[in-house]
Amino acid sequence: MNVAVDDPMERQAEARTSVRPIQIRGRFLTAVALRVDGGPPDDAFYAGLDDLLRQRPHFLVDAPLILDLDGAEGLTDPDDLRQLVENLKARKFMAFGVQNASDAQLAAATEAGLIPVPPGRDAPLRDERPDRRRTTERTPSAATRVVTTPVRSGQTVVADHGDLVVIGPVASGAELIARGNIHVYGTLRGRAMAGCHGDLSARIFCQSLDAELLAIAGLYRTSENLEHEVHKRNVQVFLQDERLCVETLG
Amino acid sequence: MTSQLKQDTPAKGKIIVITSGKGGVGKTTSAAAISAGLAMLGHKTVVIDFDVGLRNLDMIMGCERRVVFDFINVIQGDARLKQALIKDKRLENLSILPTSQTRDKDALTKEGVEKVLNELREEFDYIICDSPAGIERGAHLAMYFADEAVVVTNPEVSSVRDSDRVLGLLSSKTARAERPGAEPIKAQVLLTRYDANRIAKGEMMTVEDVLEILAVPLLGIVPESTAVLRASNEGVPVTMDEPSPASAAYMDAVARLTGEEVEMRVESDKRPGLLQRLFGMTA
Repeated sequence: MNVAVDDPMERQAEARTSVRPIQIRGRFLTAVALRVDGGPPDDAFYAGLDDLLRQRPHFLVDAPLILDLDGAEGLTDPDDLRQLVENLKARKFMAFGVQNASDAQLAAATEAGLIPVPPGRDAPLRDERPDRRRTTERTPSAATRVVTTPVRSGQTVVADHGDLVVIGPVASGAELIARGNIHVYGTLRGRAMAGCHGDLSARIFCQSLDAELLAIAGLYRTSENLEHEVHKRNVQVFLQDERLCVETLG
Repeated sequence: MTSQLKQDTPAKGKIIVITSGKGGVGKTTSAAAISAGLAMLGHKTVVIDFDVGLRNLDMIMGCERRVVFDFINVIQGDARLKQALIKDKRLENLSILPTSQTRDKDALTKEGVEKVLNELREEFDYIICDSPAGIERGAHLAMYFADEAVVVTNPEVSSVRDSDRVLGLLSSKTARAERPGAEPIKAQVLLTRYDANRIAKGEMMTVEDVLEILAVPLLGIVPESTAVLRASNEGVPVTMDEPSPASAAYMDAVARLTGEEVEMRVESDKRPGLLQRLFGMTA
């Protein structure tokens, strides 16, 4: 007569030992806030939203979304909120919470299955298509960095805002990185990466080419696939039709 | 009054680090040869072993049986500097500060090293720091307080690249580099294990190639020589040993280090001996 097996407590204990430990982890995520004004959103609101989505189809797709109810005094009916969440979901917006809600709105939101979120700091949304022309216009006199000592193996010299000029040799194992062009008045034996922020018109110039790697806007060639004719020559490196070209000078 | 006294005291001792990055290029041999050479020229010289845990300098200097206290004992306050310094029996101007064989590089502290060096500066004209290989703590602290650096390099690519890395550290990660307005460390290359025959065959880099890459002045060229190995095995610095092309090259380098202008010459290191010539003919 085996009582132990039938004892529910015993079984529970057994089950508990076989269960894997529960894992809880902190998680930060970025959400977007959608501001709703006035009462329940009307057709004009959805039309505006659709318009925005048409302009930028991938903008905010599947983004976790918070409804900002600060200006939506009229939105206190849980059914209206439920309707709004459904309509947003149809546009692939995943609304999960509300912020700046009044007590009445909070009650309605809770009933509609939305959670209250404490209002965070607003950050500007990253534009999907950064306008490069505009950013270069904003910094017309890009800071050129001039280095007059040899760049040694293991050193990295970065010109984050403009051109990089090195007067002296660049050893193998050294790295030059510039937003703009790179000029080396000496032998370049290390790596040179020009246009590191995506400037396709950046160039690399050096008096004697013996580089490990040359890159412009992320397109690169290593010493292995550089033509022998340019070895130890005075050259310029530039992009043409997405191809990295190395050309002798003078 | 005290400031007056301070001004009257002559320039304090010069700290010279012997470093390379790569191991086995001849740092310790060069440190021993250079410090003995300086002492022979009448300068009060001390040579410090920074290679904690892999103590070698004392053997090359032939004083390994006389080590009682070491550099680490002094840094940790277990012994006074005077107790740890070993006076060379052959040269009265030469002292050795050996390191610990049982500890590791973590036993070195920046404050401790500085204190010891400052104390040595008062007494000696030249303080030669024999750096360990690598670029970690031991090597870093050996170069940190230096006024001058001798970068020991072999004429081959890996050694040259490591030397270049070290030159970069000398100009960025040292006290002189960090202090605004201070004159940078004066670094010079000492080319060792130079073998003219192998260079002629293209197996080694030429002096020009090495200097072109490193872009620092040349302190000297030490030919590959059996005298070097024999001297280290016997515990005699090369410069104290019987004359050889290597010892002559080191003495030239020492003279240049003290500011003399000596013409660069490379003795044809291996004049084939009689036996060799005979064998060479039959082969």
